[in-house]
Amino acid sequence: MYKQILNRDTTLNEYCIVRTNDNACIPFDPDNKDYQEYLKWLAEGNTPEPADE
Amino acid sequence: MPIQTAADSISNSAGSPYGFKNRIINGAMAIDQRNSGSSTTPSGDAYNLDRWQAASGTAGSWFTFQQSNVVPANFTYSLSILSTGANSVSSGSIYVLQQRIEGYNVADLGYGSSDAKPITISFWIRGSVTGTYGLVVTNGAMTRAYPITYTINSANTWEYKIVTISGDTSGTWLKDNGIGMRLVFQLGTGSSNTLTAGTGWVTPSGGAYGVTGTTNLSATNAATLYITGVQVEKGSQATAFDYRDYGNELRLCQRYYYQRNIISTSTDYIAVLQCFNTGGVYGKLFDLPVTMRATPTGSMSSITHFRASTSGGNGTTSFSAGSIDVLSPAAVGTQGWSGISGLTGGNATVITASTVPSWIAVSAEL
Repeated sequence: MYKQILNRDTTLNEYCIVRTNDNACIPFDPDNKDYQEYLKWLAEGNTPEPADE
Repeated sequence: MPIQTAADSISNSAGSPYGFKNRIINGAMAIDQRNSGSSTTPSGDAYNLDRWQAASGTAGSWFTFQQSNVVPANFTYSLSILSTGANSVSSGSIYVLQQRIEGYNVADLGYGSSDAKPITISFWIRGSVTGTYGLVVTNGAMTRAYPITYTINSANTWEYKIVTISGDTSGTWLKDNGIGMRLVFQLGTGSSNTLTAGTGWVTPSGGAYGVTGTTNLSATNAATLYITGVQVEKGSQATAFDYRDYGNELRLCQRYYYQRNIISTSTDYIAVLQCFNTGGVYGKLFDLPVTMRATPTGSMSSITHFRASTSGGNGTTSFSAGSIDVLSPAAVGTQGWSGISGLTGGNATVITASTVPSWIAVSAEL
């Protein structure tokens, strides 16, 4: 459902998460509706896939 | 001579003939950034025309949406809604067409206070199934709602509907960049999510996605509904539709969604980015035409639709990895697109599409 991504220096991108069904990048902005849905998904006990190495 | 105040001459409770009279964006159904006139049959919440969301809860693909030129006089477009089957609703069903209005755009209505003003909703509608239909005005959280009915009297005939409702003096109504108000057209909603008409403003105990006992278009196979000229204005009088020029209407939509369509692989340069090694680039792709409501979600047709120029001209291979992952309300970029070769680290390179149509989109919908 969601997957972490890496920056070009291979550190973890801490500003957005990828929604895997459409590869959209969702920013960690509380006003963003997609981020609100991601938070709800996390609250249900889910965890995102780790980023590809 | 007494000084005349604005309140004497132009009552704040009246609608204004100037400026942003219609609080609905894309009420004339002219803007279609996502689909350019193509139909969509969504299985979940989705937008066909800009700002108009089909919200389906757990329902399936019950409707096909498309911009249409079946219109009443003096309009160019409508939104066509076609039922894909005879889908009878269960009590928990939800299928609506709604517009979520930003709080900034309804703040002056004074909802949630003793200064709340009436609003008048007007629209043109043409349906193949006659009957009484449901419409609901709610606050953002749907903790306050005003259920309304309207009637389609004659099949396949354009009819103009006007409804005036009182302002809501209770509840929490956002006046910022959150959802200030929802206008909800019922298409297929079950009894657990409907309200009783004629009760004025209520605090729903369940959902507020329709009106009890009204027609659900979803139940009739191949039923059609066309709608356009949707207007929500302050005051108790319906006035002429607030016709806005195309450019301004487009910009109003782009506060919530923007799609950069790339129309040529050779003459439509997207950006100049910096190479961080021989196979990857990063940087700002472009500024957004309008400051968006919030930091948007970024997406693209496919990373493989984009390429970078090398010393020999346009790259012959496309990127294979990367996303729209640098996002702000004003601009979009990438931390890194990679998977090609022939670049020189530290140099700049021109980004083009390797195939068209291709697109980059950002969404800050409510």
